This record gives sequence, structure tokens and C-alpha cells, in this order.
Amino acid sequence: MPPKQILIIDDENDIQEVTRLSLQLTESWTVIGANSGAAGALLALSECPDAILLDVMMPDMDGPSTLRVLQQQKSTIPVIFLTAKVQLADREKYMQLGVRGIISKPFDPLTLGQQIREMLAWE
Amino acid sequence: MTTKRQCSIREKLTGIIMITSTTAVLLACAGFTVTGLLNFRKRLIADISTISRVIASNSAAALAFNDQPSAHEVLGALQAKPSVIAAGIYNQRGEPFAKYEPNHGITIPARALPDGVYDVDDHLELFSAIRLGDKRIGTLYVSADNRDRAARVQQYKEIAAVIVVFSLLAAFLLAARLQRLISAPIVELARVAALVSKEKSFIVRAAPTKLNDELGNLVNAFNRMLDELEQRDHKLVEHQTQLETTVAQRTAELTVANQELLMAKNAAEKAAAQSAQLARESALILNNATDGILGLGLDNRPAFVNPSAVRMLGMRMEDFDGKTIHEAIHHSHADGTPFPEEECVNTIAMRSGIPIGMVDDTFWRADGTSFPVEYSSTPMRDETGRHIGAVVVFRDVTERRAIEKLKSEFVSTVSHELRTPLTSIRGALGLLSSGLLGPVAETGQRMLKIAVDNTDRLVRLINDILDLERVASGEVELKRGPLDAQTVVNQACEGLQPMADQEGIRIVVEPFAGTLWGDSDRVIQTLTNLIGNAIKFSPPNTVVTLSGTAGATEFTFCVADQGRGVPEDKLSTIFQRFSQVDASDSRTKGGSGLGLAICQSIVTAHGGRIWAEKNEPAGTRVQFTIPLAVRAAVSQTAADAARPAIPNGDAPSVLIVEDDFDLGRVMTEALQRHGLQTFHTASGSEAVQLCAANPPSLIVLDLGLPDLDGYGVVSALRKNKQLKNVPLLVYSALDLGSAEQCRLRLGPTEFLTKSRCSLTDFEEHVIGLLKAVTGAKDSHAA
Repeated sequence: MPPKQILIIDDENDIQEVTRLSLQLTESWTVIGANSGAAGALLALSECPDAILLDVMMPDMDGPSTLRVLQQQKSTIPVIFLTAKVQLADREKYMQLGVRGIISKPFDPLTLGQQIREMLAWE
Repeated sequence: MTTKRQCSIREKLTGIIMITSTTAVLLACAGFTVTGLLNFRKRLIADISTISRVIASNSAAALAFNDQPSAHEVLGALQAKPSVIAAGIYNQRGEPFAKYEPNHGITIPARALPDGVYDVDDHLELFSAIRLGDKRIGTLYVSADNRDRAARVQQYKEIAAVIVVFSLLAAFLLAARLQRLISAPIVELARVAALVSKEKSFIVRAAPTKLNDELGNLVNAFNRMLDELEQRDHKLVEHQTQLETTVAQRTAELTVANQELLMAKNAAEKAAAQSAQLARESALILNNATDGILGLGLDNRPAFVNPSAVRMLGMRMEDFDGKTIHEAIHHSHADGTPFPEEECVNTIAMRSGIPIGMVDDTFWRADGTSFPVEYSSTPMRDETGRHIGAVVVFRDVTERRAIEKLKSEFVSTVSHELRTPLTSIRGALGLLSSGLLGPVAETGQRMLKIAVDNTDRLVRLINDILDLERVASGEVELKRGPLDAQTVVNQACEGLQPMADQEGIRIVVEPFAGTLWGDSDRVIQTLTNLIGNAIKFSPPNTVVTLSGTAGATEFTFCVADQGRGVPEDKLSTIFQRFSQVDASDSRTKGGSGLGLAICQSIVTAHGGRIWAEKNEPAGTRVQFTIPLAVRAAVSQTAADAARPAIPNGDAPSVLIVEDDFDLGRVMTEALQRHGLQTFHTASGSEAVQLCAANPPSLIVLDLGLPDLDGYGVVSALRKNKQLKNVPLLVYSALDLGSAEQCRLRLGPTEFLTKSRCSLTDFEEHVIGLLKAVTGAKDSHAA
């Protein structure tokens, strides 16, 4: 089932805005956003989006920590990491953590939705 | 006195002869004299007797008739005999009858004595009987003196004297002459002896004599002795001369030798001085080198620790306390986990005499702290080439690591930091230019396109920088798997076809046959880069040719263009970062200047090489190699090649039977580079068991194994139907003779000698054997 609502957790507001616009225009999804891992987790648990785009590098609580919190809360929402670090070693590490996929920054705003759909299609 | 001696023999001899002669003569004379005198007496007696008888008989009558005058007459007849000095007749009563006394003073005896001869003083007296017929009537006395006798004696004396004198003379003369017979040779002998002794020469000889007696023998013997002595003397002289010659010779030789020795000594001293100088310089260098230098013996214990090493490790040679290098400073990994000596690369290198360079590792100080090092180990060999130890050179790379880490982190952080705003930029621009946010005027479109293109370029640049940094610093691990050469080429081309079409370049792809062992993404990335460059630098309507050949151990890709080419002196530098043949290129061609550097990093990480050459007639050829995979028969499908492959069950398996763990590891790693499933055992019996359970595609067999040796393993394997045709690579320490090789044949078998075979040879043989057996399509002579 294609997703309808995406939560983006990223400390950069601009990226949030671009992402929102991109997904709205290309996929017609709703996008909610949070600036920090903590806020994002709360939002995720309360809004139950269909997927979470989670920035890895954030001050305070970073991506993996936020993921851990979500997992501890037994959240089943698929999480996709957003990261500027694209080292293979890191990718492996992130995959081990249980994310559905990794999208590297910068991304193509026109294909972002498709990437997310493909990742979510794997079950 | 001497004169006396000189004459002594002669004198003696003469004297002897004289004395003897004289004595003889005297004795003879005496004898004659005595005999004469005796005879004389006899005769006298006889004479007197006769006279007496005559007188007696004549006077008998006178006596008988007492005729004194007749008696006197008769007696008077005695006058005729002067020697009769007195005579007398005596009557029967012994009284004198008649007397004859011619001489004064001489009277007859008063009475008659008994008959007989009486010697009285100087006269003889005879009393004899006067007979008349048979009757004695009286006694006749006659006394004769020795005057005749005296005369006789005198005569005798004179004769004797004369005889003696003449005899003496004669004797003397004869003696004087005859003694020479004896004395001459002796004197001569004496003279010669004296001469010999005085002149000390043996040339003289005693006059040879024809005498056959002892003297002759003596002389001859003497002469012979002198001969002998002369000969000996000659020999001695000869000898001496010879000796002198020899001595002179030897002296000359010795002089020469001495000179040579002196020269040699000087040379040696010079050499020693030079050597000492060299040693001093070496010591100076060693002591002043900032790198730590350790000299290790074969037992991996330090024999030399230079001052820098002491400083860095906090340990002098004594402090090593009998530990091996590994135990002392290399005992644990950087994180503190123990590092067993068998896994230590340096120990492997030490034992096998292999040099290793530039290993990044961690050394531990005496105080328990550690520091990162970069070290290299080079085997030491003596003049005969015998392996006697190793030299380990290391440096403290804490700073460098820190710098590298900083750089890495910097690059990483910066890339990340740069990417973040770029995400927004790209996102916004992308959305704008897509038209989703509303129509944009044409010039606006154009501007947006420029913005988007350059943003992409910036993104690529950042990616490349980061990529290069990671690949160059070895952070990126290649995910290797079997890759079909044709497939990767096709994939690379696919991506670039649009660009080629746009530039009017035709890509010609020649057939590729071969399976590589590498990271698919990275190989494609390399090809993409190279083909991209080729397209960029080719004028329109030219051809970019892709070709490839499989060699013994690696596959060679070739990308050739017909563009402007690269100047000869820049052919090797183009692989450096940010190098462009022409600085204006980067602007017009949109390159980051890192593409070739990334390619080099990727290719090197695979264990291959990359290089550029001039293409004929124009353009450039860039070639790179990727190690071959060794695949069993079936070739991969395109899908398999696309995914980063994991070694799958079809890959050929190799069993390495080698009791030297380090060597086993080196071989295993070498073969794994080609995608071979490699197993290793150190035990022959275990090898047999493993083969029986899982027949390998190839066995690499060392002969010297602890339990069952190579020969035993082969015998055991031959008994197994499945295994007796397995290809075998025998890897022995010594060359094998044909008899031994016969005992070791299994399936197709090859023999390598450890000391004469490099790692690449080994890889080649393994791949060759496997290819021969599997007959894979990817065998092409290079």
C-alpha cells in the first residue's frame, strides 16, 4: 500500500521544506516535520506516519539514537536514513540497525518519492 | 825436542835394529868365544894329556930305575912347549922325583894330588899316572899356563872387536836404509796427516806404496780415508753452495714476500681504516637516524637497537630480556587485544625471509603505552646469501596518523557540511526547474538549468573528493566477487551512451571474455571514468574502442580514444589528483580532476595496475588490470555480475597443505584475491580426510609435513577413485628428481621449488592448472 504521510526529522529547516515540497508535488503525500530526534520521536509515536525520513547527523540526539528510541517504543514505522555520509562502512552499520533504506544527500528532489516507494515496497 | 820427535821413528827403528844386531853379534861373539875357549881348554887338556902320556911313558923307565938325570932329561924335552910352565914326576909315595921348573917362582906342588885336571888360577895342572906296564909307579905333574889361552882370548877379543865394529857399521848402514821401508811410509803418513791438519785440505795424499803389509794397508786406508774425506768435503762444499743458493733464493723470496706482506699490510690497514670509517659513519647514521632501527636475529630477538628506537620504545637492548620482538613490543593490537605471534606479519616475513614494507601497526613501550607505527622488515643475508636475520625500520606515526585522521575527518566533515546546504539548493533548484512549481520563463529556465548543472557538478566534486580520500586511505573495502568482463563493460557503456551520442562519438566494444574477481561497482566506476574521459577528449566522429584480454593471472582492460592525446612526459602524472593536461580542461569539460586518481586507487586496491600510452595514430590508450577469477565451467549471467557477488558454491576450491602457517596464510590470501575458496591444513593426514570429505578442485602440497609427509598423502589420495585425478601443485623446498616426481603424481601435476618461485609464479601455476582442468572459456594467452 503506497504511503500517504511521511515524517521528516532533520535539523535543517530548508531541507525539510524542500522535501515537503518535493513529495507533495511528485507524490501528493503529506509531510510532517520535526527539528530534533526527540521531537521527531514524539511526533512519530503520536502521528504514526507511514514512513520516517531520519537525518543521521543531528546535534543532541542523532539518527541512530532516535531510531533506538523508536525501536524501544516498539514502533513499526519504517525508517529511512538521510545522510551526507555515504561511506560503505557506515551504510552497512546503518543497515544493521534495522533501517529500511538509506538515501544520501544531496538527493534528487524529483526522484525522492520514487526512492522512498521502492524502499517501502520491500517487505 | 821436535827434531828428536821427527827423527824418533827412524831413530827408534835404527836404534832397534842396531841394538838387535849388536846384541846378536855380541852374543855370537860371546858364543864363539866361549866355545872357542872351551875348545881351547879341551885341546889344551888333550894336548897336555898327550904330552903327559908321552912324558910319562918316557919317564917310566927313568923312574923305575931311579934315574933322576934321565928323568930330568925327559922333562927337559918340555922346553919345546913353552906353555908348560912346570912339570914334575912323583914317586909312588907322591914325593917329587924330578922337577922341571923353568920359570922363576913357579914350583911344582909338594905332593902329588890325585889324578885329574886342576884349574888353578891361570894354569892347568894335570896329574896323570906313570905306568910301567900295568903298574903305577908314579905320578906325572904337568902344569900349562893359559898364555895361549890368553893369546887366544886376545885374538878372540880383537876379532870380536873388529867384527862388532864392522857389524855395527854394516848394521847401521843397512838399518839406516832398511828402516825406511817401515819408517818412510809412516813418516810420510805423519807428514800428510800434519799437512792435512795444518792446511785443512783433503787434496793431499800419502804416496801410495806397493807394500802389501800392514803399512801398505794403513797407507791405503789412510788414502782412502782421505778420499772419503775429500769427497765428503766436496759434498759439504756442494751442499753449502747449494744451501747458500737456496738461502739466497729463499731470502729473495722472503724479501719479496715481505714486501708483498708489507703492501698487503698497508692495504689492510687502509681497508681497516676505511672500514672503521665506514663503521663510524654507519654508526653515526644509525645513531642519528630518527627512525627506529632494530637488527633481529633469526630467533626474532633483537641484536641491535639504535638510539632512536631506544627512545621511542623506552627499552635498550638489555631491557628486551630475552623476549622476541613480538613479545616485547608487538604483543597486542591497538585496542589491547592480544596479538598472537603466529599472526604477526613481521614474524612471517622473518621466518620466510620475505621483505615487507610500510605496515601500519602498533608498538608497545616498556611503560605499557602504545603508539602507532609504520614499519618495514627487510631480511638480512650474509655474503653467501644465507638468511641471518632481519632489519626492522619503524617510525612513530602518531602525528601522521593524527594528521591523517584530522584530514580524513576534515574531509568527511567538510563534505558533510557542504552537502547539507547543497541538499537544499539542489532540492529547490530541482523543483523549480521541473516546472512543478509553475511555469518559468525561458531565460529563467536557462538560468535554472545552469544553476542545477553546476550544483550537480559541485555535488560530484564533493563526492569525488570524499571518494578519493576514502579509497586512497584504504577506508573503502572492496566487495569482491566474480565479475564477467563483458557485462561490466556493457554496463559502463550503457551509462555513457547518451553522452557519447551527444558528442558524436562511437563506442566500439570488442568482445570481452573473462571472469574477474573484483568489486563490480568500483570496476564499473573505473570504466565509466575512463570511457567518459575518452569521450570528453575525442573530437566528434571519432571512435572510442574498448577491448580487453585475459592474461595468466589478470585481465587487462583497454580504453582507446582518438583525441588529442597526452604529452609523453605527462603520461604518468595524469593519475595524480587534480592534474589536468591542460588547466582549461576542467572548466570546459566539467571534470573534477580526480577521476583518474580515483581509478588508480580502485585499481591498486584490487591488486592491479593502471597506465596510459600513446595511441596510434593519435589519441591515448589507458589500460588497467584486475585479477582474474578462476571459475568452474559455467559462465556467469549478467544478473550475477551486476550484484556485488559473494563467493558462491560454484567457485573452485583449493586445499593448501602446508605446515608453515605463515606461508599457508600468504598462499591463501594470494589465491583468495582470485576468488578461490581456499582451505588450509598443516597436517597430511587431515588433508587426506578433508579431500575425502570434500574433493577440492586443486591441491597445493608441501612435502615436509609433521605427520604424514607429501609422499604419504599422495599415496593415500591415489587410492581414492574421486581424488586420484585431482590436479596437484607440489611445492617443495628442494628440486625433485624424476623418480620422486613419479611418486607424487596425482591428476595433472606440477612441481615448484620454493626458493626459485615467486608468489606470482605460484598464482600463475594454480590458475593454469585449474584452467587446464576446467577448460574455462576465459583462457586466453596474454
